[in-house]
Amino acid sequence: MAWNIFPLWAGIVMLIAATASIWAAMKRERSTVAIATMALAILAMGGFIALLWATLERPPLRTMGETRLWYSFFILVSGLFTYSRWHYRWIMLFATVLAGVFIIINIAKPEIHDQTLMPALQSLWFVPHVSVYMFSYSLLGCATLLSVVALVRKSTDMDMAIERLLYAGLAFLSVGMLTGALWAKDAWGAYWSWDPKESWAAATWGLYLTAIHLAPSVMNTSRRWIYHTIILLGFVALQMCWYGVNYLPSAATSVHSY
Amino acid sequence: MKTQMTDKRFERLKGVCMVGAVVALSFLVEVCWGSFPVGLFRFPLNILVMALWMVLLTMMYRSRAGSACARFMLSREATWLSLGMVAAIGITLGLQLKPSSTAWPTVVLLLFVQSHLLLVILRGWRNKRGIRWRFCLTHIGLLLALGAGFWGAPDREQLRAPVQRYPSNDAYTMEGEERRLPYTLELKDFVIEEAENGTPTHYEAQVMVDGTMVTLRVNHPYARTISEKIYLISFPTSPRGERYAIVEIVSEPWQWLSAAGIIMLLAGAMLLFVQGPLFNSKF
Repeated sequence: MAWNIFPLWAGIVMLIAATASIWAAMKRERSTVAIATMALAILAMGGFIALLWATLERPPLRTMGETRLWYSFFILVSGLFTYSRWHYRWIMLFATVLAGVFIIINIAKPEIHDQTLMPALQSLWFVPHVSVYMFSYSLLGCATLLSVVALVRKSTDMDMAIERLLYAGLAFLSVGMLTGALWAKDAWGAYWSWDPKESWAAATWGLYLTAIHLAPSVMNTSRRWIYHTIILLGFVALQMCWYGVNYLPSAATSVHSY
Repeated sequence: MKTQMTDKRFERLKGVCMVGAVVALSFLVEVCWGSFPVGLFRFPLNILVMALWMVLLTMMYRSRAGSACARFMLSREATWLSLGMVAAIGITLGLQLKPSSTAWPTVVLLLFVQSHLLLVILRGWRNKRGIRWRFCLTHIGLLLALGAGFWGAPDREQLRAPVQRYPSNDAYTMEGEERRLPYTLELKDFVIEEAENGTPTHYEAQVMVDGTMVTLRVNHPYARTISEKIYLISFPTSPRGERYAIVEIVSEPWQWLSAAGIIMLLAGAMLLFVQGPLFNSKF
């Protein structure tokens, strides 16, 4: 039932979020009205997730469509956080566009199936592992958006925010990966087995760690573009880890297919 | 001053080239002789080699002032190379260009990453003011988790056993070789619940393990000893129409070191979030 009303509900959320974002982009100072309006959009999106959870009688974290739903929610949260903390007036608009892309994909290709939660996913690790990952993806998404702007404008204004978002995103990415390792030991008998999804997770982690270790050496030099480029590469690897891996031949051998 | 800088850069470039040459050699070894012979390094040989490796690295660290190799291994370039290698291993295995974590190049790269980590820990564990806890938890945690998986791999044993309605100690390696378990397994009962569309929503097996009745479910293995766990893998039907269970017996004596490393890394990740970056003053 909840899924039938998603297009209408998501349309309203996007309308509120777009109003907040455009308002924020137009104002030179930090706008309380924009913050409150975006908070309302986030609450509405959170309300839909809660309704879907209640309807399915299981956490809506199983399918790709369900993870995209969480991503749309968390990217708005991260956009609002970045705007309120550092006042980049375009960030909420970027976050809204990104959330909109994932909402449109979800309307076109829902991938939200039924109430079944297969035994492999019936674990205490399920909710923290997936939701922490989705939150980290949204923080790293914001860091990527700012890195693109920094590369295009050749500006240093956003470096502090990028670095902070990167640290927070990497911290949650690590927690997602490590809780996954503990869960894998209970489910499959090995903390790490270089499954295609795990391998892409290692690639993503390695790239973001490289960016963090590069920062002190390149940020005050003309070579700062290397740092921003690695953040972009990290985000590409992250997309591979999240859903890109499903389109590779190696997906057939993955134990991460639900 | 300028000459000194050029010398330093040349020294580090030489280091990167040396690592590249070793990796290229490992590719050649892989092509000529196949994957790394993990099985040869079972206990106690793995402990001996690991101890020797640690002693050599500690000596290298102590002689760092006069050793170009030690200076390179402790450089920023070596850190970037190590992390780039983690990404490269991930991408290669993710694309399944070489679908093996026991390939020579993977083993060489992982050994390089661990060597760099150990040297960095020796240098930094007392010196990282302000972020000492974070540094120690993340770096030592990663070395423990990575090291336990790497050095403990030869001691890890994974067997599969069909569990039927009579006691049996037959088991098979992943390569299909037959083994005898030192205890018997017997299926006493099997419960399966299905959704309307026929998808299993819950299944569990009551198994007699060495005279003890245990319940096996997905995500709920039975710890027979401190290093051995039994997992329910699947529930096929025999040609005679009887349902039986397939279990996996995983013996991993180094698992607790891995767990300790993962928990330290978790705590370090939390500190990474709480403390954030320390270089903002430079921006």
